[in-house]
Amino acid sequence: MAGSRFVPGVVPQRRRVAFLVLSMVLGVAPGIERAARADAAPEFRVIVHPSNPLQAADRGYLADAFLKKVSRWESGETIRAVDLRPDSPARRRFSESVLKRSVGAVRSYWQQRIFSGRDVPPPELESDESVLAFVAKFPGAVGYVSGAAKLSGVRELSVK
Amino acid sequence: MNMLRENAKRAVCGALLLTSARAAAQQAEDPSALQVHGFVSQGYIKTTRNNYLAPSARAQGSVDFTEVGINFTKPLGDRLRVGIQFFAHDLGPLGNYAPQADWYYLDYRFFDWLGVRAGKTKLPWGLYNEANDVDAGRVPVLLPQSVYPVASREFLFAQTGGELYGDLPLGAAGSLEYRLYGGTIFLNSTDVSAQLKGFGVPYEAGARLMWLSPIEGLQLGGSAQALRFDFSFSPTPEQQAKYQMAGQLPADYAGVISAKIPIKLWVASVEYQKEGLALAAEYTRSYLHYQTNLLLPENKITNAGGYVMASYQVTPWFTPGVYCSGWFPDIHAKVPAGPDPHPRSSFQHDIAATLRYDLTANWLVKVEGHYMHGTAGLQSALNDNRPLDSLAKDWGVLLVKTTGYF
Repeated sequence: MAGSRFVPGVVPQRRRVAFLVLSMVLGVAPGIERAARADAAPEFRVIVHPSNPLQAADRGYLADAFLKKVSRWESGETIRAVDLRPDSPARRRFSESVLKRSVGAVRSYWQQRIFSGRDVPPPELESDESVLAFVAKFPGAVGYVSGAAKLSGVRELSVK
Repeated sequence: MNMLRENAKRAVCGALLLTSARAAAQQAEDPSALQVHGFVSQGYIKTTRNNYLAPSARAQGSVDFTEVGINFTKPLGDRLRVGIQFFAHDLGPLGNYAPQADWYYLDYRFFDWLGVRAGKTKLPWGLYNEANDVDAGRVPVLLPQSVYPVASREFLFAQTGGELYGDLPLGAAGSLEYRLYGGTIFLNSTDVSAQLKGFGVPYEAGARLMWLSPIEGLQLGGSAQALRFDFSFSPTPEQQAKYQMAGQLPADYAGVISAKIPIKLWVASVEYQKEGLALAAEYTRSYLHYQTNLLLPENKITNAGGYVMASYQVTPWFTPGVYCSGWFPDIHAKVPAGPDPHPRSSFQHDIAATLRYDLTANWLVKVEGHYMHGTAGLQSALNDNRPLDSLAKDWGVLLVKTTGYF
């Protein structure tokens, strides 16, 4: 009977396993995991071509630009959005903070548009360096990189 | 021999898709480059009773559930874009791997609030009609059949003509997305029935208006459509004898029965998405007016259907979903005399649960179970031509489907 004795602050092994299983069934554990990952994830920085006169952009406008619901900057320049690869932490943070959707939901959105002939998604590049090179190359380009990336040839855009 | 031919077709399609994937990867960094995307799906259907969509009630079930598509999109400047998708499928008696141009278009976007498209385009009907073939773009294997009947794919998926579209910002009130279209639907009459002698759609027009509300992820809207089917057919000797006995054959009957069916339909839609959560509900009605040269009283039918659906992305690789759907093929039908005022063929209730596993960024597997109550969604032709009222009232469906896409 010693195993069943209550000790404050110590959760019996069986109860811990039962809690973990129940959490997984109810989808709680992944939520905890997601919150933990979100805390640890690096920030992202939104970048534009240096010729872009915009200093700050509304979050909703930026979301519409990445979902191709708006196609031009206020200056008339064509918006050329660029994404990082789907498993990139900066992509996940950007997706949740700016697009207000999970990466999976955004990918579903694009699958629907690609195969119904509505539109094609922004290019998905492998690394911060590739995104920096893309944004530096096209005047209407907008992208995002991880917080640790060293910005060169681009300008940071603040998000309101 | 047929199996060999089908395997060869699948192999060619697979090779084409892989080659295209490599081309697409090479050109990903150039926004004006040709974009190539494709998918291959293979499904399995097993029903506890009744054949559904395919010969699914046999012990081994059915794998007559294949889709393959590849598309090419090319921007021609900042405002003009062209695209085409080739598609082939097999679903029981439908498709038979016949390749077709699924959609093709020339798209010019004058402003964000005004664009024009010409060609063969998917019909913007409800939330998901355009994505009905896009397994990777949704959670369920089968979208709720009350609003998106897969057996009517040839009628409901695409039109050939023109379309106006755009997004209208409303400031603090959100934005509106509109679509207006008109044209016709080209059909191969043998896809509908071997008895048909001619089949045409003289007009087809519709609109969809969606309001993207200021509440992030909430959109509401409606779609309406009007079209007419014209067709003629030669009845079998049995059918002809039946019409003759009932005194329905016209005096000038010359072996052909002609019919016109004007149809008006609408659907109301609401969807809410927040992070991994997706909720949707839709309700539809269709009004059909049968006009034939048979001596029959005017026949007007109204059918109705709707569903509620929910899914939640628990992890990036696992998304479960459920929906509850109901369809009623003739809501104003007279209550039949006899002990059963609600014959099983007058309704189709469908409760479905799906598990979607995204094994990689380009490969998914889905497992889906349905509890079905009613037989309105079944086809006599797939069930030894038995009347729907004689088929099993309660039945189950298991679907497994895997899709690779890029």
